[in-house]
Amino acid sequence: MAFSSALVLTDLNDYIAPSQACIKPVEIEKSEDQGPTEIKVDREGDYYEISKDGGESKLEKASITLNDCLACSGCVTSAESVLITMQSQEELYEILNTNRLAIEQNDPSQHRTIVISISPQSRASLAAKYNMEPLQVHRRLVYFFKHHLGAHHVFDASFSRDLSLVESAREFVERFRRYMANGGDKIEAALQQQDAEKQQEAEDGKRRPRARRRAAAKNDEGEESSAQQNIPMLASACPGWVCYAEKTHGAVIPHISAAKSPQQMMGSLVKDYLATKTNTSPSAIYHVSVMPCYDKKLEASRPDFFLEQFNTREVDCVLTTGEIEKMFGEQNLQFDQLPEADIDDMFNKTVTNQDMQMAFGTAGSSSGGYLEYILRTAARELFNINDVPADPATTSSNARVIVKTGKNADVREYFLQNDDGRILLRFATAFGFRNIQNIVRKVKSGKCSYHYVEVMACPGGCVNGGGQLPNPNSEEVMSAKDWVNRVESVYQTVPGVAPEENEVLKEIYNEWIGDPLSERAHTLLRTQYHAVTQNLGNPLATKW
Amino acid sequence: MPRLELVTALEGHQDRVWQAIWHPTKTILATCSGDKTVRLWAPASHSDMSNWQCINTLEGGHKRTIRSVAWSPTGHEMATASFDATTGIWEHDQRDNDWECVATLEGHENEIKSVAWSSSGQLLATCSRDKSVWIWEVETDNDFECLSVLQEHSQDVKMVAWHPHQEILASASYDDTIKIWREDDDDWYCSDTLQGHTSTVWALDFDASGDHIVSASDDQTLRIWKMYKPNNAQGIPTPSNDPTYRTVCTLSGYHGRCIYSVSWSKVNNRIASASGDNTIRVFTQVTEGDEPAWEAAATIKDAHGVHDINNVTWFPTQQHGDWLATAGDDGVARIWRLVEDD
Repeated sequence: MAFSSALVLTDLNDYIAPSQACIKPVEIEKSEDQGPTEIKVDREGDYYEISKDGGESKLEKASITLNDCLACSGCVTSAESVLITMQSQEELYEILNTNRLAIEQNDPSQHRTIVISISPQSRASLAAKYNMEPLQVHRRLVYFFKHHLGAHHVFDASFSRDLSLVESAREFVERFRRYMANGGDKIEAALQQQDAEKQQEAEDGKRRPRARRRAAAKNDEGEESSAQQNIPMLASACPGWVCYAEKTHGAVIPHISAAKSPQQMMGSLVKDYLATKTNTSPSAIYHVSVMPCYDKKLEASRPDFFLEQFNTREVDCVLTTGEIEKMFGEQNLQFDQLPEADIDDMFNKTVTNQDMQMAFGTAGSSSGGYLEYILRTAARELFNINDVPADPATTSSNARVIVKTGKNADVREYFLQNDDGRILLRFATAFGFRNIQNIVRKVKSGKCSYHYVEVMACPGGCVNGGGQLPNPNSEEVMSAKDWVNRVESVYQTVPGVAPEENEVLKEIYNEWIGDPLSERAHTLLRTQYHAVTQNLGNPLATKW
Repeated sequence: MPRLELVTALEGHQDRVWQAIWHPTKTILATCSGDKTVRLWAPASHSDMSNWQCINTLEGGHKRTIRSVAWSPTGHEMATASFDATTGIWEHDQRDNDWECVATLEGHENEIKSVAWSSSGQLLATCSRDKSVWIWEVETDNDFECLSVLQEHSQDVKMVAWHPHQEILASASYDDTIKIWREDDDDWYCSDTLQGHTSTVWALDFDASGDHIVSASDDQTLRIWKMYKPNNAQGIPTPSNDPTYRTVCTLSGYHGRCIYSVSWSKVNNRIASASGDNTIRVFTQVTEGDEPAWEAAATIKDAHGVHDINNVTWFPTQQHGDWLATAGDDGVARIWRLVEDD
């Protein structure tokens, strides 16, 4: 299936099609009067309803925000150019311009510190297209943003991703302990018993009699028991998945990890830590994040990430890889002709050794390596197992973690084995809409035996995000599938360094957060989700 | 000239009957209705085929109209597609002679229009007003795994039908096209788009071999499509190296209104169509080849009175190969027999 490379903001998630019904319909309250009413429009353009006795009541303006529309993606308004120009390079140019004027007019109140965070997936996409190494891309982007455009800092989202990984793993361990304490231990024992029986039968060569199908039993309240509410934990870094879950499958929300995504962790780092460190007001910082998809724009505009106290968002603007490539053209620059600049900002995962810089990332999938990191950490914290490889799928012949590919490449299972062969942890990846369907169905019916699932909306992971650069080759030279594989392999050329070994991060964490169990930590590093309730009073919804 | 004779009329549903589908092997008819139930009908005795009764009612599984019903190839399971956006899977308990809803498949955003089991019984397809076609795999233990969500139609998808022997799916849509879906190593994809109808394609059916498709449309015509394999003798190009379908015959002027349903008998090769003009028509093939000719063989006017006829289905086996079942907006399902006389 080929996707048009001319992607527009109107597509919520390139792999989840626009829905049919508007989720923010106009509620029309019936007035007390029977019979016809008059509507009056005054000079300011406000509407008034005039009742029989001559009294006027002002009619509320229907309002729809960018957030509502992107979440819904099915309605006409999402095509409005007004909504599209919010969060675009136009906005960035304006801020840069205002800065220039502010400097000329010596008016510091108009000046904003501009911070750019680059995601490693966007970097890999550019690297694949221009045949460079990710480090070279990063250095050119530093030149482009800092030296050419006038931004102040260029950060690497791999840095804030470490925070997200650590927090996710911490949360998983908490949840798993609660699960085991609340009846989970019995469930696990039963599953392990089943595994042993299956193993025995396979060895004996017996064929299990075909089990008669029976309707899945629900408990009296039809709700999950408290043991089941904690586990499985589902990844939260993908806003496409999160918005889909909030809108369509509210029941799975308690399972979604509360840890913020790398983008939003950077938002906290920039608008809280950096702001405090540099004695700048968060509203005087303009944070742009370069991401592989459009859904990240939606994530940035969530009300949960709006700092009311400072009237500013943690991430002000998200630009996709495609949008910044457009910027090069708009600035009349050829990306491959750009000079390189040193990466000298604090939130980066680079090491400088005698004029040589090296970029580092994280082991695991191109969607952040959540599964791999949480598996490793959980094995250590929960079971004192220390020999889990950093990337089990690519480490051949390891007995500790069994990796099985499912029906398609986007669904994989990871089983942590104890020395005696018992399966202690069951993890899985589920990328793409069809695989998400299966996980959601299992979770909803209480039949999900996994403890953690890395759910991502895009098949192939984040390197295949909707905002990435399209295949520059013709289909005969390189198919779309091969192009994605190429971007993935470029992404993987950046060696992984575990968050525990990120010394800069550790220092910052201790200084900034201190106690990871504190409320402060939870406020800065975790978030919440909200099920979108169906408004049944929608006069536009016809049902027959 | 053959003619259609009424065998019996089945009354009992409280709302319009959307489909009347025969059991794959036995003389049992399943009807689904706006009254949210499925009813099963069988003759009171083998010797008296004019006396039928309702032997079972499947209810409580859906909150809205059941628009489509499909038997699994063994006849032990049934799938029901509903406007409540879920597909119900029902299993027959032979001891109690009872049907139990063992699974409910969710995922579609709105009304599901059609459901179909593949000939192997391994796959299930559903399609909906949300423009998507979903393919599910049957697993043990009441589990159905979603294999693919296909979103290439640009409008409401009205019907899905499987090839009689292969795992190839065809879908008909309000976007005036029919799409053919195949599987490659990782996923399902659209291998061909059949264009030609000038309005909504409401229904389609394969012939016994699977080499032809008949489609019924709001443009008041029936089209017969023939499959051409890559490197075919006729020189028809096959892009992407998959077989392609071309129209070889158009039956127009036979219906004055939208044609809602069409069925191609796997026993006698005849085609039956049901229309909003209240008639049922039967067609016979006269010549074969790349330009086959078909002619009208039998007609029944006002088969369900002034009410629309929603569905027509031929009996699937030799046992009653001359029988047709129809479902109408009058809440009645009728069984007809094609009598070859004179």
